[in-house]
Amino acid sequence: MASSEKDNGTRKTIAGVAATAAAIGQMAYAQGTGKIKVGLLGCGGRGNGAMRQCLEADPGIEIIALADLFEGKVRGTRDRIMNEEKYAGRIKIDDDHLYWGYDCHEKLAKCEADLLLMATAPAFRPRQMMAAIKAGKHVFTEKPVATDVAGCKEFMAASKLAKDKGLAIVCGTQRRHEFSRIELMKRIHDGAIGELVGGQCYWYGGGIWFRGANDGMSELDWQCENWYHFTWLSGDQICEQHIHNIDVLNWCFDGPPAKFMAVGGRQWRDHNDGQVRTAKEVCRRFTGSEENWEKYNGNILDHVYAEFEYPNGARCLSFSGHSPGTGRNGEKIVGTKGTSDCNHNITGQNAWTYQGENVDGMLREHIDLINSIRSGNVLNEGQRIAESTLTAIGAYIAACTGQVVTWDWLMNESKHSLVPSQADIMAGKPLYYPVPTGRDPLV
Amino acid sequence: MTHKQILTRRELLKGSAVAAGTLVLTGTPGPLVYAQGSDTIRVGVVGCGGRGSGAAHNCVNSAPGVKIVALADTFADRIAKLKSDFEVPDDRCFVGMDAYKKVMALDDVNFVILATPPGFRPVQLAEAIRQGKHVFMEKPVAVCPAGIKMVVEASELAEQKGLGIVAGTQRRHQHEYVETMKRVLDGAIGEIVSAQCYWNMGGLWCHKRQPNESDVEWQIRNWLYFTWLSGDHICEQHVHNMDVVNWAFGDVAPETVHGIGGRQFRTGEEYGHIFDHFGVEFTYPGDVRTISTCRQIEGTAGNVSERVVGTKGWTNCSGRIYGENAWRYQGPRSDPYVQEHTDLIESIRKGKPLNEGKTIANSTLCAIMGRESAYSRQQFKTTWFTSRCTLDLLPPADLQLSDSKPVPPVAIPGQYELPGWAQQRRGNRG
Repeated sequence: MASSEKDNGTRKTIAGVAATAAAIGQMAYAQGTGKIKVGLLGCGGRGNGAMRQCLEADPGIEIIALADLFEGKVRGTRDRIMNEEKYAGRIKIDDDHLYWGYDCHEKLAKCEADLLLMATAPAFRPRQMMAAIKAGKHVFTEKPVATDVAGCKEFMAASKLAKDKGLAIVCGTQRRHEFSRIELMKRIHDGAIGELVGGQCYWYGGGIWFRGANDGMSELDWQCENWYHFTWLSGDQICEQHIHNIDVLNWCFDGPPAKFMAVGGRQWRDHNDGQVRTAKEVCRRFTGSEENWEKYNGNILDHVYAEFEYPNGARCLSFSGHSPGTGRNGEKIVGTKGTSDCNHNITGQNAWTYQGENVDGMLREHIDLINSIRSGNVLNEGQRIAESTLTAIGAYIAACTGQVVTWDWLMNESKHSLVPSQADIMAGKPLYYPVPTGRDPLV
Repeated sequence: MTHKQILTRRELLKGSAVAAGTLVLTGTPGPLVYAQGSDTIRVGVVGCGGRGSGAAHNCVNSAPGVKIVALADTFADRIAKLKSDFEVPDDRCFVGMDAYKKVMALDDVNFVILATPPGFRPVQLAEAIRQGKHVFMEKPVAVCPAGIKMVVEASELAEQKGLGIVAGTQRRHQHEYVETMKRVLDGAIGEIVSAQCYWNMGGLWCHKRQPNESDVEWQIRNWLYFTWLSGDHICEQHVHNMDVVNWAFGDVAPETVHGIGGRQFRTGEEYGHIFDHFGVEFTYPGDVRTISTCRQIEGTAGNVSERVVGTKGWTNCSGRIYGENAWRYQGPRSDPYVQEHTDLIESIRKGKPLNEGKTIANSTLCAIMGRESAYSRQQFKTTWFTSRCTLDLLPPADLQLSDSKPVPPVAIPGQYELPGWAQQRRGNRG
């Protein structure tokens, strides 16, 4: 976890700056029991989950604002949480703190929340993050944090700004907060399995929801509701889901790969009967016929087989996708002196099994975030999660283009940008990219 | 059979044989004694397309005393060139689906080159061994587990009969590979903990269907693109690289296989129903997991190579070892496509014929398993595949060129049925 250690070092030097420059609220949390006012951005399943985990994490948390693309979700979320007895007295969301629409993140950033929880579709994360940091908010953000190279870079810039302003960023790669993995990674970084020479990570599952369109939805609304299936919104499955496992490999190597090679495609999704039926219904709703229904069936791939080459030359497998077949999920790291499941076991010369307390990473990440805010020594995982996001995107680009992609090229030369400007989003135009061909031009 | 007599004679001539081999490497024709003596390698070529023609020329250039004496192909037009190159008389050129049998029935043919589409290989190998011929066969050697079983059985029979079998995985005869692998197997890179192999390239030739062609004729002429004939490109090409990785592991079979793949770019009907990319994970004993990719998409980044990683270093398998025992091959290099014939013929003449049948069967099996795992998206064990998978793509014995044969559908996960898998599932539930 050397990257965090590096962060810690930097943090000490900026702590003084933070104390003077950052939000006044921070002085209050330093006492340890002060209230932390929280706004939720993205009122879907994950947002609702994150909000509850945040509430569980610390008694000083109060929810004061909700934002989502859709008014119904904002109101529904407030109604539900208000009725949960265990949070009685901690849900203080006034009518004028309910925000919806494509600019809801801008409105939310202007409210008096100290901490924002971000759980919308990943496409909008970079601009949401920039607005939040500029407004002086601490942030918990779900993963991934972008869907294109341009977004990753914008997110990195926001993280840097957060560092300068002494603001916390913790992200929903909860494995980084599980005690067993933290202890394990310490050992791996201390050489328990020798030099790292290989590894594998997997997230292969049976599929994912596909949402139809409701009355009153524009085409763009529907795309955002059904965001997983559009690369510009989700970053594809490798980015949206598999990033968890990719992030663990990056953790082992203490940084991202230097080079990507990948093959991938879409073999099953247009043969998935239930999904196809819904796509045809959506097509009929928006166009009056089922002609060109494929456009409404999304453009994400269903399998990517990627090789990451890390700076030390180690080549690792990343295996991801959705379809009927055998599911896989997990990681393995291989060294010259042993191997590890990246979870709680080391085999080989320095065999070891974690025997300490097991914690729920999805709760623990909030505890760690809030503790860091209260201590004034804030966590900032922004650069790291942007790097893991860009790792997934690099592999995805390699699969779509059939070219070998390097980290330096991604950072310095790539013009890969899928998400429309905020002005275009406000104009409400839907956006469809074709299914990648396997030899798309490298941008 | 005359090969036993040959062996005795070879023992006597051993000294000059070695000298002859050296001469061949420098391009000088060998002594005439071989061409005239009864120990002449009298070759029947089965499959006279590009590779068969190449192999025939490689074979005659590989050693003295080698003569192409008979030809077989499904199509008359494919035979013409070799017939003229080697002045093979009309009555020794055979055309049709059973042409291979006619060549193998010739008493004076003691060596056959098998270079028809791989789907035919198991049947043709079995016939060649039954008829007592030494065999050089192109890779891959089967396209289904039923075919693999035939190849293994024929190889065992060849062992009993003292017949040689060498496969066209020429890296096994390429000096820089041979010397590197010797060191790897001696522990130069320590215990193997990881490996990668690739055959990523652009496209290959394609034979568009002509108006007069039946299903079967078109598919055989365009054989690359049909699994029953080529095994898909993972089998047809990538088997080379898998074979190298298997070599490094001491030619044991991987324990489990999990592949993904698809047909993403090359989707025209002239390309049959095969995939254009695969990614497969093989897990060798000791939970050692390897990367394997192959791709045939025009304009994409090429990479045809292998890499094996151990606890003490790593190798590119072809002349370089990095790490504790760093080493670089600096010896002579020869054309491996010729060398494989040289090695086979020399072994025959020495009376200790090489038999690579089971080794190439194992590597072909890996490729077939990778394909079937990718088609079905199921991870399975090798022991399951070899004992329970009932996939049988062998051509029917009465297959006629005029037959109709619909192109199978492209494999779609959830729709593609891995033969034997459903039964296993039911068995497990019971």
